[in-house]
Amino acid sequence: MTIAQSPIDFAAPGLSTQPAALNADERATRRLGTYLTLPTQILLAFIVIFPLLMELYISLSSWTPLDGRNWLYAYRYWAGLDNYWELISNARFWQSIGRTLFIMVVCVPVELLLGLGLALLFAGEFRGKRLFYSIMLMPMMVVPAVAGYMFFMLFQSGGPINNILSTLSGGAVSIAWLSRPNLALAAVMIADIWQWTPLMFLILLAGLLGVPEDQLRMATLLGAGPWWRFRLIVLPRIRAILLIALAIRTIEIFKVFDTLYIMTTGGPGVSTETISVYIYKVTMEDLQWSYVAAIALVILVVLSALAAPAIKRFAPAR
Amino acid sequence: MAAITLENLSKNFGAFAALKELNLEVRDREFVALLGPSGCGKTTTMNLISGLLHPSVGRILFDTRDVTPIPMDRRGVGFVFQNYAIFTHMTVRQNLAFGLRVRRLPPSEINRRVGAIAEMMQLTKLLDSRTDKLSVNILQRIAIGRSAIVEPAIFLLDEPLSNVDAAFRQVMRTELKTLQRQFKQTMVYVTHDQLEAMTMADRIAVLDQGILQQVGSPLEIYNHPRNVFVARFIGSPGMNLLNGRLSAENGQTFVDLGPAGRTDALPSGLARAAERAQSANVLVGVRPEDLECVDGATESGLTLVVSFVERIGHRTVVHLGAGAQSAKMTAHSTFVAALGSALRLRARAAGLRLFDRSSGLALTLE
Amino acid sequence: MAHIEFDHVTKRYGDVVAVRDITVTVEDREFFCFFGPPSSGKSTLLRLLLGIEKPTEGEIRIDGKVVNAQSPAERNLAMVFQNLALFPHMSARDNLRFPLVERGVATNIIDERLGGIADKLHIGHLLGKRPAQLSGGERQRVAIGRALMREATAYLMDDPISALDARLREEMRVELKRLQREIGHTFIYVTHDQEEAMSVADRMAILEHGVIRQIDPPQLIYDRPHSRYVASIVGAPTMNFVAGEFDGSRGEFRSADGALKVALSGYCGEATEAVDLAFRPEDTVLGGADGMPARVVSVEPLGAFSIVIVDSGSQALKAMIKGQATPSTGDIVTVGVTPSRVAMFRHGDGRRLEADAHHPTINIKTAREETQPC
Repeated sequence: MTIAQSPIDFAAPGLSTQPAALNADERATRRLGTYLTLPTQILLAFIVIFPLLMELYISLSSWTPLDGRNWLYAYRYWAGLDNYWELISNARFWQSIGRTLFIMVVCVPVELLLGLGLALLFAGEFRGKRLFYSIMLMPMMVVPAVAGYMFFMLFQSGGPINNILSTLSGGAVSIAWLSRPNLALAAVMIADIWQWTPLMFLILLAGLLGVPEDQLRMATLLGAGPWWRFRLIVLPRIRAILLIALAIRTIEIFKVFDTLYIMTTGGPGVSTETISVYIYKVTMEDLQWSYVAAIALVILVVLSALAAPAIKRFAPAR
Repeated sequence: MAAITLENLSKNFGAFAALKELNLEVRDREFVALLGPSGCGKTTTMNLISGLLHPSVGRILFDTRDVTPIPMDRRGVGFVFQNYAIFTHMTVRQNLAFGLRVRRLPPSEINRRVGAIAEMMQLTKLLDSRTDKLSVNILQRIAIGRSAIVEPAIFLLDEPLSNVDAAFRQVMRTELKTLQRQFKQTMVYVTHDQLEAMTMADRIAVLDQGILQQVGSPLEIYNHPRNVFVARFIGSPGMNLLNGRLSAENGQTFVDLGPAGRTDALPSGLARAAERAQSANVLVGVRPEDLECVDGATESGLTLVVSFVERIGHRTVVHLGAGAQSAKMTAHSTFVAALGSALRLRARAAGLRLFDRSSGLALTLE
Repeated sequence: MAHIEFDHVTKRYGDVVAVRDITVTVEDREFFCFFGPPSSGKSTLLRLLLGIEKPTEGEIRIDGKVVNAQSPAERNLAMVFQNLALFPHMSARDNLRFPLVERGVATNIIDERLGGIADKLHIGHLLGKRPAQLSGGERQRVAIGRALMREATAYLMDDPISALDARLREEMRVELKRLQREIGHTFIYVTHDQEEAMSVADRMAILEHGVIRQIDPPQLIYDRPHSRYVASIVGAPTMNFVAGEFDGSRGEFRSADGALKVALSGYCGEATEAVDLAFRPEDTVLGGADGMPARVVSVEPLGAFSIVIVDSGSQALKAMIKGQATPSTGDIVTVGVTPSRVAMFRHGDGRRLEADAHHPTINIKTAREETQPC
């Protein structure tokens, strides 16, 4: 065992249990830590906890801004759990959830596999790699709303995508992407895949670079070709990162909004209405804020319940 | 048959020449040590033989087959890295079985061979343990077993014992030699420890700065070093090299060592070799164990002052100096010498060697 | 000035006992070495002394003062780490200056000390370079220099030269010893290389699984190990052990297979004890008149001497012969011992059988032998 890695860092690697009596030096350090994080802790409390309580409060009433009064008076319109019953029986709500889940189930795996493929490609060397890096990361840098508008234009009946398809197929292609329900959903998914695959690519590349090179070399020397190396060495080692990427993207995609809304505003009809779009419409058009508060809270609880085990598993105390 | 021939092998990394025109033959079933200080090109040579690196110039042949164009995963050589590169996310069993698994051997065969290797490397009890928390000694055995299980005809080991503690090193040296004999493999072993090379190798190839200095059996290299580098590098401690001037007297040749004194008359063979010297300025080589104390006022002899005494178990190493020269003497374990005292010594004639001072090459009759 | 004591120090990490009941005194100006295999507790002792760990039990005293509660900074000890821990972004000069600059020492004093230390360590010409531009040996000297810049009570070194080439290690250990003599401070050194420990130490402590087995000057440990463990761990090649029994009444050792009989006089006791006869390879006599027959299994020619490994039928033994004239593999030779150079260790507790009508008990704290009549 060697002592610390640097003369400044005196933390013994892993094993030391804090003895009961801390000396003055250690106490001072602890106090400093508390003071430094106090502002952030207060801010967090204000930004997170307060709105949550507010939401809970509103969701238990039938208050809307049309009532003319401040939200503080919501208690006057007490409705108990009515909003919650409403959302359980609302068909449109459930359909939007279904659609969101469908998008999730299709897009996330595609993004993951494409990202993995690209990461594997980039883990090796090839000409023009630097240039390609920039190109690869550009979609992620585009503002989602702008991406939405971009795809809106691309998917027009007389737009570039149809033009390319015409050239490729020889005949005139004039698919009405955004006016046919199924095609609109497909278009929206394509947009999402385009924009977020680079994120998966980055995360997985980071994971791949963490695979020890000697072990890969050793595997090669033992006779393992690229497939064996991937299966037996790379995959087990990126398992944790893979799952993290999966968790991140799954949670995010559940909230998909900007790109989609700008492309289709949830249409045609409600064929691309995801849960976020639904909430947006109910909030802005129907102004049923208390109902929306209930929905938001339910989604928060469900997502947290799903995410918590994942977070616990992959962020162990080091 | 698994002989290795390195033909005119060179490797450059940009402007840096890591290996220069290496010509070396390793015979079938021979244990050859590549010995030299850090940066001498020994690891580069290993990497070239295994296929990890591609030569800038030259060829590598296994028996008569040119393997230079053959990629790493198909050369069929066993390799053990200095830091073992154990697959830490797998158990011991999975590590050992790896080579066989990628060759798609049937599971029953794999199990049998894993069992046999585990037995040989004393890993049977640990077969199903995870590898990430095991000690380096055990990791080392796993690394060797993992490469040995595919029964390669050629086994390359890159400083496998340098991370291991001193006591275990001895144990492993014996085990490696036993393994080599048992599997009848050709083994190429990289080390910077000359004692290790002397202990284990059939022949030693000494390298320095990418250039092969000498190849020979341990005793050949020890007794007849070809240049000052080899002379100094081999031996614990290495050979003493003192600046001297050849002088003749009464038909005999002596070497005058300045304030240190004068050697005895050179034996006839050495005296004749001395005639080939380019100048009278030579380096006299004498091994620490060939220096002995003389008492009384002998005519010729060396006088050196004790600067340091190291007591290391079965021997005592006395550090000596005279003017700008320094030397070491090995004496028995009970030898006593006061710091600063002057000792009268002589160098045993049979142990004397001469080297040309400018080229560093040994002066010999051949 | 720098009298360091461990008084019944124990360190536990949960259930694991890293070091147990350690009592040892390091005298001022001593080059003291802790030696043992990996995980024997040597690095733990340094950490306890340095102050980055606190003992679970016991006291650590520096110059008589108990320092358990003091922080590392207050203890005024300098440390050279195994991996050197040089700041890669600073030149060698800045690395050397760092400890004193940090403490606010005046620049001219710093530079004066730096000059002196650079001279002693022969690194004057390297001061402008960064660690990455230096060789292993040069980096190591800079690391030592950095520790020496401080006028510390004692200098602690955790296996500082194990990462260097064998040749360089041999040179560096001589330099370290010379340096220590020159500056006259206490050095506390940890290593797992027995030759290194023997070369540098004034006294050394042998550790086994966190317990001290013997504290003595190196040559004394080599010549008179107290226990089988100490005997097996010091000396290369390792000592030969032949199991058998010692008959006190007849003064004779008999090996278990009956092949070896050695007459040994002057030992205590009349009874017969199960012991291991221990003798070093250099004290093994090949081809002598007395001894047991054995077959030469292999010969390792090391130039100045040769190691001959023989098989007696029941075990392998090593003999060290001066020079290069050895028997050949396959020959049958007699293997004997030099009676004055053997030791016997009891089977049960591994303790040495004492000769000369003494039954010494060893007080580990002071390493003095208190003898009682037999």
